[in-house]
Amino acid sequence: MSFFDALRFRLRAIARPGEHARELAEEMRHHVDLDAQQIAHEARDPVAEHDAPYAARRRFGNATYYEEEARRMSRLSWLDTIGQDLRFAVRTFRRAPGFTAVAVLTLALGIGANTAIFSAVDALLLRPLPFPQPDRLMSVSLTVPRRGNFPPRDDIVWSAPKFQMLRASEHVFASTTLWFTEPFTIGYGDQTLRDEGEYTDDGYLTTLGVRPALGRNFAAGETDHWRAAAVALISDALWQRLYDADKGVLGKIVTVNGVPYTIVGVMPPGFQGLSGQAMLWLPYTFNSNTRAQPYGPYDHSFAAVARLADGVTAEQAAAVVGTLGSRIDAAYPDPNSPSWHWGATAKPLDQARVDPRIRGTLLVLFGAVGLVLLIACANVANLFLARASGRRKEIAVRLAIGAGRRRLIAQLVTESVLLGVTGGVAGLAVAWAGTRALASLQISSVFQYNNAAHLGLLGSQAIHLDPAALLFTLALGVATGVLFGLVPSLQATKPSLTQDLKDDGARASRALGGLASRSTLVVAEIALAVVLLAGAGVVLRSLARRMGVEPGFDPAHMLTFRVNRVVTWAPDSITRFYDLAIQHLSELPGVTGVGIEDCPPLVRCSNTGVQLRDRAPAAPGTAPSAGVHWITPDWPRVAGVPLLKGRLLTSTDRVGTPLSVLVSATAARRWWPGQDPIGKTISAGGGGADSAFVVGVLGDVRYAGIDSLPGAEIYVSYYQAPFYYRIMLFLRTRGDPLALVGPARRVLAEWAPGFPMYDVRTMDDRVGDSLAYSRVSALLLGLFAAVALGLAAVGVYGVIAYSVSQRTREIGIRVALGATGADVEKMVIRQALRLGAIGGGAGLVAALLVTRVLSSLLFEVAPRDPVTLAGIVAVLAMVVLLASWIPARRAAAVPALEALKGS
Amino acid sequence: MARAPKSRKTELLRGTLDLLILQTLTIRPLHGYGISQHIANLSDRTLLVEQGSLYPALERLQARGWVTSRWEQSPTGRRARYYRITGSGLRQLGEEISALDAVFLAINRVLRRA
Repeated sequence: MSFFDALRFRLRAIARPGEHARELAEEMRHHVDLDAQQIAHEARDPVAEHDAPYAARRRFGNATYYEEEARRMSRLSWLDTIGQDLRFAVRTFRRAPGFTAVAVLTLALGIGANTAIFSAVDALLLRPLPFPQPDRLMSVSLTVPRRGNFPPRDDIVWSAPKFQMLRASEHVFASTTLWFTEPFTIGYGDQTLRDEGEYTDDGYLTTLGVRPALGRNFAAGETDHWRAAAVALISDALWQRLYDADKGVLGKIVTVNGVPYTIVGVMPPGFQGLSGQAMLWLPYTFNSNTRAQPYGPYDHSFAAVARLADGVTAEQAAAVVGTLGSRIDAAYPDPNSPSWHWGATAKPLDQARVDPRIRGTLLVLFGAVGLVLLIACANVANLFLARASGRRKEIAVRLAIGAGRRRLIAQLVTESVLLGVTGGVAGLAVAWAGTRALASLQISSVFQYNNAAHLGLLGSQAIHLDPAALLFTLALGVATGVLFGLVPSLQATKPSLTQDLKDDGARASRALGGLASRSTLVVAEIALAVVLLAGAGVVLRSLARRMGVEPGFDPAHMLTFRVNRVVTWAPDSITRFYDLAIQHLSELPGVTGVGIEDCPPLVRCSNTGVQLRDRAPAAPGTAPSAGVHWITPDWPRVAGVPLLKGRLLTSTDRVGTPLSVLVSATAARRWWPGQDPIGKTISAGGGGADSAFVVGVLGDVRYAGIDSLPGAEIYVSYYQAPFYYRIMLFLRTRGDPLALVGPARRVLAEWAPGFPMYDVRTMDDRVGDSLAYSRVSALLLGLFAAVALGLAAVGVYGVIAYSVSQRTREIGIRVALGATGADVEKMVIRQALRLGAIGGGAGLVAALLVTRVLSSLLFEVAPRDPVTLAGIVAVLAMVVLLASWIPARRAAAVPALEALKGS
Repeated sequence: MARAPKSRKTELLRGTLDLLILQTLTIRPLHGYGISQHIANLSDRTLLVEQGSLYPALERLQARGWVTSRWEQSPTGRRARYYRITGSGLRQLGEEISALDAVFLAINRVLRRA
């Protein structure tokens, strides 16, 4: 096969260049000798015969050159050229370690940060969902319009009656299923675990296309929505932990919240449901496992997932669901205002995989980090330009002795690509640290409030460096290498030999050309940095605004945790449970107060329609609504929520006495403007039969999160309206709250064994959590902007220093003609400021256009915040002054005589 | 390429040297000097192959797999590199000849009408 002949030939030429060259030489000697014999044979006189070898050699010509040419023929494979260039590049870089280190470090920062953010984007946005035909899976949700302070949303979960209306009349889905997640106390034998589980039905696994690894799915009859059977599916992890991977686990009992369930199946390894953290699955009922009443039309609890029927497109399904949504809205109008029309929508599950705010943030960060890389590239390109002017003579010599321009460019670009890839490899360290930091963020947990139908399936823990990220890094390294290498090499090899050959450095007119392109690069750098600064500025200001928000309670020195509702305790003995909890925990040394609340601040839990008894019943859909909170009488004092008016609830507000409630300041202002709220009667909840008297007004608490305005809230005593769905304990402590975790756990284990406390956090941490997301995005953007500014400063310094060195002679003349040092300094600084002004101006214009994409990250700050923009101008001016200071001083110190003699 | 004797230069079409070498090797395997002699003799010394072109051309032809080489004993007893044409070299030769024929035909037509 001639192909293999050719390959063998080339490989041999590359692998054993010495042998190849020797053979060529021998072959040519042979040629000359044969020719000499021929000449001698034809010779007519002995002198000619004697001279034959010389004649032959003359006739043959420059053997070395031919050898060289011949070798070029066989070795001009790209592989060999690159090998040669690489070796040359390595030698070049070894000779300039300082330059190389700066360039590699700059690129490592830029590329590493890009790889880290790319890993997050890949894990959270790009990787396909781990189910068969994931593109056929749809997330079905309710939509709400803008309601007062609340923005419109299209990701609201379903209530049972609304979903039943949808399911009864749609034909676009092959299957639909509902699910929601809840923490469970899971027990087997004497072991108990506290873990997440999901309530769902028999359609869940069939819709997703997942089969149990062992046993079977729920049967249709077992997940009847009104009478669910006591059966459970368990995860592989739970199977390993509690049952030692026993194949005979089917039919065994697992207790969940103290109730026995029969295990019917074990899920395959890695499957943790759509929440991404489920350890077991139970059938739900609309009768509610956890409440006294069935789920009503406004109890939005269930996330819906569906698989498209064959032949139906996502758009068709969305249209059908949208139509049905209007019908559902007509049947169950918004209780607060009939003009707020709800709807329904279906979108590919892939789009619902992460909160749109995370998506938005990630894309913003990806863009920002891309800008940082661009700036890094511009800086390295500048370094290359500077070096190219130093190497001009070398390049000119090589061009003069016949090196092709294309060949030289290839070689220079090889150098820059090698640098880019080296930067990429070094950047992997940065990326590794970055992905670790990103993966440790609990970004998803911050968003798991407000009834959003988002999957926890793809949590931040999915962020890691994988082959895709490595490939991305490599591609980035090569791309940046070409990007910052091409322009300088084109310029460096511009053929104008005579001047450069004569040149003893870089001088005169050509140098000005170099300065122009370097200035352009720096102006671009400044512009990009300004865009980043503008973005980071408004986001940081938003963070400051958020951190300055008064949450309405005192988070310092407060331990909070939940204790699972004790199912085996009879509902009427629940008040005794609270008494015991408060009594035992109060006795702990270091505890100054204990309160119980059903739902912690910063996480909105409930919103219920309210009727005001002092006026005619509101028209349907216009009734006010409020969050209802169950508290122990002492809770406001413990939590630091001030009493503004009236009295607190007391131990005399018990079952049987007239119902007393507290309202929030916002509720009082909204419902009874200009009146005294004390003594007003209201009723809350679906029935509206029970009237309650307002006895006091509490300060506002931001229940819906730091970003949201406080709303109308109603506080009811646990002792007067027993409620045992969920509780959170608040311990006000004297010292470090976390020091009390151990003692509290011991006390609880004594009198409520088998029901561990969980969700243990200090209140400071909870506040921190609610800000974690804005803090991280602000921090990263700020970091990127700082790096960008630093790189731009280095760029300005480089260009100004270069131009000063070029203008030494001119400066000398100026000084000789009477310019003072200050004049020279001013001149240099003016040049720097001109660059800064052009770059800054372009950057500000770009920033005005671009920062709009940040709206979703902002809080009480406009995207074009004038304060931020003014600040940027000031910072930029300072940085430019600083960067040009040293070169300006150096220029001012130029002694006139020396400068004039110098050339 | 190839050079005519004296100062008169016969500019050959690009790639013709390859063609001549391949054609020469269809007769029998030859070493480099043999190839140049053969071309010179056959063309009545009109075409003299420059050594500066010959060896690069041979390397190029090998790199493309049209020609292979082996070190063998020459009749004089000295070690020499003998070149032989490969299957794909023969095919390439056929293609080039037919292409060249077409060119010559066209040139002839033009010349006759001019």
